[in-house]
Amino acid sequence: MTWRVQTRHFVLPKEGSTAEECEDAVAFDAGALRFAVADGATEAFDARRWAARLAAEWVGAVSAPLSAAEFGPWLKEQGEWLHASWEGRKLSWYAEEKRRAGSYAAFVGLRLEASGKRMNWRAVALGDSCLVQRRGGELVAAFPLDSHEAFTSTPPLVPSSESLRETALTRLVEREGRAEPGDTFLLMSDALSAWYLETSARRDPRAEEFDSLLAASENGSLSELVRRERAAARMKDDDVAAVRVMLNDER
Amino acid sequence: MAYTAQITRANPTLIVFLLDQSGSMADPFGGEGSGRKADFVANAVNHALHDLVIRCTKTEEVRDYYHVAVVGYGRQVGVGLGGALAGMTVAPVSAVADNPARIESGYRRVPDGVGGYVETPVRYPVWVHAHAEGGTPMCRALQRAREIIEGWLSSHPRGFPPTVLHLTDGESSDGDPTNDGDALMSLGTDDGRVLLFNCHVSSSRSRKIEYPADDAVIRDGFARTLFRISSVLPENFLGAAQQLGVPAASGSRGFVFNADPSSVVQFYEIGTSLTGMPPHIWMGE
Repeated sequence: MTWRVQTRHFVLPKEGSTAEECEDAVAFDAGALRFAVADGATEAFDARRWAARLAAEWVGAVSAPLSAAEFGPWLKEQGEWLHASWEGRKLSWYAEEKRRAGSYAAFVGLRLEASGKRMNWRAVALGDSCLVQRRGGELVAAFPLDSHEAFTSTPPLVPSSESLRETALTRLVEREGRAEPGDTFLLMSDALSAWYLETSARRDPRAEEFDSLLAASENGSLSELVRRERAAARMKDDDVAAVRVMLNDER
Repeated sequence: MAYTAQITRANPTLIVFLLDQSGSMADPFGGEGSGRKADFVANAVNHALHDLVIRCTKTEEVRDYYHVAVVGYGRQVGVGLGGALAGMTVAPVSAVADNPARIESGYRRVPDGVGGYVETPVRYPVWVHAHAEGGTPMCRALQRAREIIEGWLSSHPRGFPPTVLHLTDGESSDGDPTNDGDALMSLGTDDGRVLLFNCHVSSSRSRKIEYPADDAVIRDGFARTLFRISSVLPENFLGAAQQLGVPAASGSRGFVFNADPSSVVQFYEIGTSLTGMPPHIWMGE
């Protein structure tokens, strides 16, 4: 059996912000079957670059790191790159203070592994960006959070600073499972994840509408849907990022 | 529902620091070996301004979620921050960030990454200087704060209403402040009335009263007066109070009497806890 993988993505900044201010990042390599979403912490120094770096480098790594043992050395490299890029910059007192605290982002990455007729998936997350697996309109898996009530204002995050790395890695979550033809995976940053899980749990057709629009790359309509949900206070007004991965066989 | 507006650059909020700078502020807090109240309070306000700036900092840019005014009263009622901001009644937080009166250098202990600590050079901006001279013209100070807020509201009718953080160490020397406090609290935006929080600091070691919900526990007449012109803490301030371990609950007023130094710090932390940004716990800090 030959698998066909279709990837779609969507990014929208919070209301009143420009695309250049958006701190959510997506990255994927459909050929290598790797997909990632990262969400830079709003208060952190250089969060947009940190999120973009994490997503892109995880997808492009020789072996996209999954366990804490793999993730640690990889994260060390990323943090050192970020901090080195800050050297030599003359900063105001407040930027200097923010820089000292380093940068932070939530991260979720998905790796698909075809093995004969089987397709397995493995994923890693640190923070509140989530992965959802759907099959036939039902949620099969959701992680690292599986309910909108599990979201808090103080999630663990991926730090750039060395001194915080070990503690952060203890909060890393790994998960694996099996995929079937017709399965869909959604990787989403926190506001969208919380909305999607809540909407799905209520069997509200808007979750289905979101998925259909994303599948059809109707990003204009998707933006309208998100703005409507924000305006109705059903979705937190935050940057939004999503990657949708649809699996089919070639039959 | 009131006090739920999101604080954004399009709809910023205003914080007014109302500071008693009367002669008695030169006295120490109750307790041996403590320094002048005026010095401690000026430090606490500078620290609060520092934290406001940091919370509004996006990498190298300070976003104007807040506007700030400082009103000091003692020998006279004076408005404004020092340095290049002198003469500005209300300053956006980005202007505050870029114009401290001076920046002091010091050291701070930070984790060294291998289980220990290392002394790192830091810069401490100073905007407010300690003053302690004259009487306590609280009514005139409240009137001045009201004028400032009225002016600001004419161009900011929407969004989270202004917060006044008033610190004093004694009774008003120009009459009962009730009417002026009420007048201040009668102003507001589409999201609610102006919030007036009062913190009374003491040179005696009297028992402190923090964030009471009713005045049954308050015997002192002046304390009752201040309690009555203290706003109920909206829900979103309670979270900050609880995080600090402060005994505040639904219905608590923004009012502290006989505050010691740690209560003063908490008062400013709670009073400035709102931000346009979601809170994050900085891991390891």
